[in-house]
Amino acid sequence: MMEPMEVDILLVEDNPDDLELTLHALRRERLANNIFAVRDGEEAVEFLFCTGRFQQRDFDHLPRLVLLDLKLPKLTGLEVLKRVKQDPRTKALPVVVLTSSKEERDLIASYNLGANSYIQKPVDFDRFREIVKSTGLYWMVINQRPMSNPAQARRAASQP
Amino acid sequence: MTASPNNGNNNQRMHVLLIEDAPSDAEIEVAELRRGGFDVTADVVDTGDQVRAHLGKNSYDVILADYSLPNFRCMDTLDILREKNQTIPMILVTGALNSETAVECVKQGAVDYVLKDNLGRLVQCVRRALEDTRLRKERTRAQEQLALKVDELARSNCDLEQFAYVASHDLQEPLRMVAAYTQLLSERYRGKLDSAADRYIAYAVEGATRMQALLEDLLAFSRIGRNGVTPAPTDVNTAVEEVLRNLAFTLKEHSVTIICNPLPTILADRFQLVQLFQNLIGNAIKFRGKATPSIAISADKLGEEWVFSIVDNGIGIAAEHKEFIFKIFQRLHTRAEYPGNGVGLAICKKIVEQNGGRIWVDSELGRGSNFRFTFPAASADRASKKEEYELSPQNLVSR
Repeated sequence: MMEPMEVDILLVEDNPDDLELTLHALRRERLANNIFAVRDGEEAVEFLFCTGRFQQRDFDHLPRLVLLDLKLPKLTGLEVLKRVKQDPRTKALPVVVLTSSKEERDLIASYNLGANSYIQKPVDFDRFREIVKSTGLYWMVINQRPMSNPAQARRAASQP
Repeated sequence: MTASPNNGNNNQRMHVLLIEDAPSDAEIEVAELRRGGFDVTADVVDTGDQVRAHLGKNSYDVILADYSLPNFRCMDTLDILREKNQTIPMILVTGALNSETAVECVKQGAVDYVLKDNLGRLVQCVRRALEDTRLRKERTRAQEQLALKVDELARSNCDLEQFAYVASHDLQEPLRMVAAYTQLLSERYRGKLDSAADRYIAYAVEGATRMQALLEDLLAFSRIGRNGVTPAPTDVNTAVEEVLRNLAFTLKEHSVTIICNPLPTILADRFQLVQLFQNLIGNAIKFRGKATPSIAISADKLGEEWVFSIVDNGIGIAAEHKEFIFKIFQRLHTRAEYPGNGVGLAICKKIVEQNGGRIWVDSELGRGSNFRFTFPAASADRASKKEEYELSPQNLVSR
């Protein structure tokens, strides 16, 4: 997948079957033009913080939404979430945990780390599509973000 | 010098280290012990090096030490024992010893002292020391075994936790793939497959969905007691009120009559208590008969426990199924007749038993059911005392 300049949704998912399903659901609803997928936690962190494989990326082009799986190779989803929410530059970025499990401890850990939402992927694909649709609609259309330009938002946030 | 053993009798064998510089005194002490019924072998030493060497190569049942030796401070023996990590009782056998010194020696770790002009006490003293040592060793062994069991249990709990976690994540994912891709297939190839295909696909999706529900239920069952349950004094009335609020829609839908007698406060986890009552009341409604459902909830104190009772006028249960229904995934009806996976009562049983109670049902087919379970009553009293203690000022400061 070529990396577009502006990414609407960053999808962090290691399982290719699952990735294809989510992409299918997102594209069908035409809620995002540019969806970028990464396959493990390390890649997600490099993408978001413009390091490693993504050091050419511009920090000002943060995605508008991150859809994060929890069970990921190299760096777990919770670890990614922690880094995003601890860094003032990425703290305001909406992160929606989208995962197979609804283990209570994952829910608690995710919210404690600052997840914006936690969604268990249902088995039934029609329901899954509905959920992807409403999640996309909510975060891409209904939800108001602080500023459209993340750089501007950061400057505003850093003022005393 | 080694005193020879007294062979040819059934007396208790005993190996003694004698720290003594007067050979005649050593002989008298050994003779005294033999007279008292011990089959004694003794090593006699009178310097620190000898003590160290003997303790290194032999094992002794008891050490008898003269307090006033020219070449060795007998109390140093205790340091040597600690150094070698040995627990051998040491008794002072000494000429003159003022009481302050004697008390000081006992404080430092000597088990007792016997004056040489009163050797009649020696046997009794040694017996007690041996008995104390035996008991201490037994206690240590029991404690070690207990610690081992606790470790084992912690490990197996940890394994279970890990298993549940893996099941929750890794088993659900392939299920979703099966369901989702069969559904996608049916969409893409609609009209290109024969009429049976859609039905088959529906079955595949239904199977995967049910499997997920079973998985979730199994996990819920395994989770009881492993998610840091904290029993606290809980008013059962408020727990039942919460259940009735949760079930408000169903209660109204079926015009259920609920008669709830005053209920006690017991020591329980509130969430579990709600789960327990909700499953039982929910079942009473689900398995209702032709008559309008009516449910009576009550509790009686019988001896040391509360016996709770949930009586309904539903379809009842045949005698041969009274045990069966509490087993996980066991059902008496088809899913078409009554929905569910057969986990509710298994969860009830686990909750009750984890709290030290029992659960059973009195019922006859077609004549309603009386689900009964017990909770220890005394624990709630203890709990309220514990709460007072936890709220005492010094505890508040330390938090």
